[in-house]
Amino acid sequence: MKRWFLLAAFAATTASAHHGWSEYNADKPLQLSGTIQEAGYVQPHGWVRLKSGGKTWIVVLAPPGRMESRGLSKDMLSVGGTASVYGYPHRTKADEMRAERITIAGKTTELR
Amino acid sequence: MVPVPPVPAAGGSAGAADWAAWLAATPPALAMRGHAWLYPAVEIVHIAGFAVLVGAVAMFDLRVLGFGRELPVRLLAQYLLPWSVGSMLLVLPSGLLLFAAEAPDLAANRVFLLKLALIAVAGLNALAFHGGPYRSAGRWESRAPPRARLHAMLSLLLWLAVIACGRLLAYV
Repeated sequence: MKRWFLLAAFAATTASAHHGWSEYNADKPLQLSGTIQEAGYVQPHGWVRLKSGGKTWIVVLAPPGRMESRGLSKDMLSVGGTASVYGYPHRTKADEMRAERITIAGKTTELR
Repeated sequence: MVPVPPVPAAGGSAGAADWAAWLAATPPALAMRGHAWLYPAVEIVHIAGFAVLVGAVAMFDLRVLGFGRELPVRLLAQYLLPWSVGSMLLVLPSGLLLFAAEAPDLAANRVFLLKLALIAVAGLNALAFHGGPYRSAGRWESRAPPRARLHAMLSLLLWLAVIACGRLLAYV
């Protein structure tokens, strides 16, 4: 009895060993280029609203601290600037994608 | 887990979206999103508070389930349970700040709503225990009565589920 529930407790805690990309569909990678309409260099994840072709995407980036330490500073995400991103579409939100990497002014930053 | 205002949240009822958007635009929510280390610092406070809360509750539940029988149940309750109640001083304000930072998303997040519901059920379970079998704890024999053990088992499972929801709400 005691052993059983300690095991159950262990199973319940290890079940959370996920990673945060499961809500995005890695089987359908996207490469988008466009204009930054709006940007948030914010916690817990930065983001840009990227107008690419006829569609405007919300592109989820990385936490600001990670972007900063990898050389993607706040002013590089300037409104009106161009960016290209490689990433995966959200499984349910049709206009949201999470970027694996972003290229701005020839500089590519890994975001994972 | 993304954009916050001015990006409108998807899902949820219109009323909920309104007050969530309002909350996400308040100065504390703006500070949480805009400040470099505030968000992670508040997360640390929230998790440390939860460690005390669930740690104290779990140690007491395990005693009721039969571990450490040499320790008097009521004495242990008097020591442990004030810690779990006091830890709310860390858990609640930090949780409110974390919620405010991403209110539109979280208000429509099923795992977050499940977490709140589980906390409510865990609270009711604790009330039922203290208003029920615990009243006769002074007269328990070496083994707690079955209803007391049932509440203790439920408590452990509920709080584990709350922790799981807290972790997993970032992944849905």
